[in-house]
Amino acid sequence: MSIDIFWRLPTHGEPASHRSKTPNRWDLFPGYEGQHPGDSATGYSYVDYLAEIAHAAEISGFQGGLIPSFPMTDEPWVISSVLARETKTFRFMIPFQPGFLHPVVAARMTASLQRATGGRALYNIITGGGGPQQLWWGDTVAHDDRYARTTEFLDVVRGIWRGGPFTLKGKFYDVKDAGLPDPLSREEFPEIYFSGSSDAALASASKHADFYLTWLEPFAQLKEKFSRVREKTAALGRRIKCAVRVDIVARATEEEAWEEIRRGFESLDRQTVENFTGGPQAGTESIGAKRQAANRPKTINSYKDLIIEPNVWSGFALLRGGQTQGLVGSYEQVAERLDQLVALGTDAFILASTPHLEEAYRVGEEVLPLVRGQHLSVNPERVPNPSRDGAHPAKPAGSPRDLAAAG
Amino acid sequence: MSNEYFWNLPSAGDGRYGNALSRRRGERLPNENPPIQSGVSDPRDDRFNYFDYLHQVARAAELSGFHGVHVDHDERGDESWIIAGYLARGTRRLKIIAEFSATWGSPVYAAKNAATFQRYTAGRFGWHLRPDEAEGRIAEFVQVAKGVLTTAPYSFKGRYFEVREGGFHGGLDHQPLPPVFLAGSDRAALEQSAKFADVHLHPVGSIQELKDRVTVLDQLAKEQGRVVRHAARLDLVARETEAEAQTVEATFLRQRLEASDPAVGTARVVGDYAQVARRLEAYQAVGVSTFILGAVPSLEEAYRVGAHVLPLLRGERSSAPSVSQPQTGASL
Repeated sequence: MSIDIFWRLPTHGEPASHRSKTPNRWDLFPGYEGQHPGDSATGYSYVDYLAEIAHAAEISGFQGGLIPSFPMTDEPWVISSVLARETKTFRFMIPFQPGFLHPVVAARMTASLQRATGGRALYNIITGGGGPQQLWWGDTVAHDDRYARTTEFLDVVRGIWRGGPFTLKGKFYDVKDAGLPDPLSREEFPEIYFSGSSDAALASASKHADFYLTWLEPFAQLKEKFSRVREKTAALGRRIKCAVRVDIVARATEEEAWEEIRRGFESLDRQTVENFTGGPQAGTESIGAKRQAANRPKTINSYKDLIIEPNVWSGFALLRGGQTQGLVGSYEQVAERLDQLVALGTDAFILASTPHLEEAYRVGEEVLPLVRGQHLSVNPERVPNPSRDGAHPAKPAGSPRDLAAAG
Repeated sequence: MSNEYFWNLPSAGDGRYGNALSRRRGERLPNENPPIQSGVSDPRDDRFNYFDYLHQVARAAELSGFHGVHVDHDERGDESWIIAGYLARGTRRLKIIAEFSATWGSPVYAAKNAATFQRYTAGRFGWHLRPDEAEGRIAEFVQVAKGVLTTAPYSFKGRYFEVREGGFHGGLDHQPLPPVFLAGSDRAALEQSAKFADVHLHPVGSIQELKDRVTVLDQLAKEQGRVVRHAARLDLVARETEAEAQTVEATFLRQRLEASDPAVGTARVVGDYAQVARRLEAYQAVGVSTFILGAVPSLEEAYRVGAHVLPLLRGERSSAPSVSQPQTGASL
């Protein structure tokens, strides 16, 4: 069994390094245009930089990339269709909330995108953190109902995918004799990465998801979460794979990697750090966000206070929004941790590091070749793969001791 | 008001003959034989499809002097938003108008996607919202979309949509609004356009009917303190001689019937280049200044109309001087 490794397109801006929070790379991030002396004259926009990253990722051997969507970012459907023609193998992982788009339109857009890209579209279905932000998007449906809607949404998309006719009079959608026309109906159904940590989310994921996607959490906690997801889906007679989003800082030596983190951390003001300490999170219905916050210490005096396991740092959200936990270490260490995550049940990764362009090459050249990726827990007596293992015979990634330590 | 000319991109199919909609150039449909016999190697494999062809048509429209392309909505075809994005990078100044319905989803999401389009195309994206059976939904859709694109915080509670503390920040907030095309012939449609449309697409019947509707809409828009452009969607059969054009028209009609293609219902202008130009000028004389033109096959005809008809409308001489000019459409 081989694992899939994705990269990320930084729709939320690109600082020049982890040490800087300002999204100033090319000064083309939304809100920063015009600050660069030449940008309006060149006719280039931020998508030109995203195109560079997509090329870097496909050249470096990544499957493709997640294209995050937040209120302040550009939208992944548009980015994907715009980049379709100038990429060859890059797979576009589109995160979206079912409430934003009618399922018939979503199916049609997806099938068209499959045709435009030769089958390179996939979903990251998000059901929403809730709170005030949900109505910013114009979505009035409550948290647990949103998961029921997600299930129904995917029922419709799947129902019409092969051409139908499909009829459903549900709680949220009402479609009659719907179906994709030929040849849209001949495209591969997109793989579904599914996010959400609540019970309602797991129930919905169990029915439709190919991959259950989570942020990085402490390894033991993650292992427990994956078994729970697998149990739930097995009860429905389905199999689900598990995927993890991991921010990484990988350098030739561990010292160098931590030095990057130290400088980033020390550039933060005191208030930002204090706001980041553990405790209840107001204004979110997201269980995942609460789980992440619960792992933070009550006081933070040094970046070292945020090291929660070897090579795991829980302060990434301080350096750039989003998830908090990521891997920091030498190339070998980061590869070993990734292999440990594989051993505890991970089938796919979405990796990211700043700046995404240079780091796509770095990680592609230095880290990916060290990752064994084979699913050790499923296949303990695996046959060595000469093409993979031969490249780095002296580096037995994921030694038995480390695996035991990972729980 | 200066005239603008858009070229129509058929999202469902195109081909050389009258049954164009049953074909997808660049793509072999399952019921079609291999285009090349097995004794001859075909390096294309399945690496091309209709998207590659649409890209060529858009390029043709750009090179031939059109102001933009209109990506039509056809349930049998590909989705207009994806086609629009696909064409964005291969074109430099064409406006790209996507036709879709107000049932698309959340207007906030549509507006946000439009903002990304504008950022990535320097404001070349526009909306054509097709008529909708739900009364007032288009109006709310456009209102909310414009609201979040121009105002923050923006709140709205209507019959179909609700937003609280919405509105964009950080670069998505000062993007040009997509020009909104709405259509319809009755009084309610005209009233709606007076308030919410930038361009109103009139059905094309007699010149007099058109003139009457233009007058009504102008008055209604004036009451709103607005100006709405008038548009017409026309299919052209333009040839060097009228006789040739009539022959093509008759042949296409027969082919369409044989293929039992559903009638497209688009008004057609048939004639020699000067006649076609004069007909368009007649529409201009009663107030139409935006034209969405189309013809089969879209690629060759974009060049033909761009070379022979548009120059006449700009008051230039047609760049089609000689009878010896190759006539792609004449190979019927």
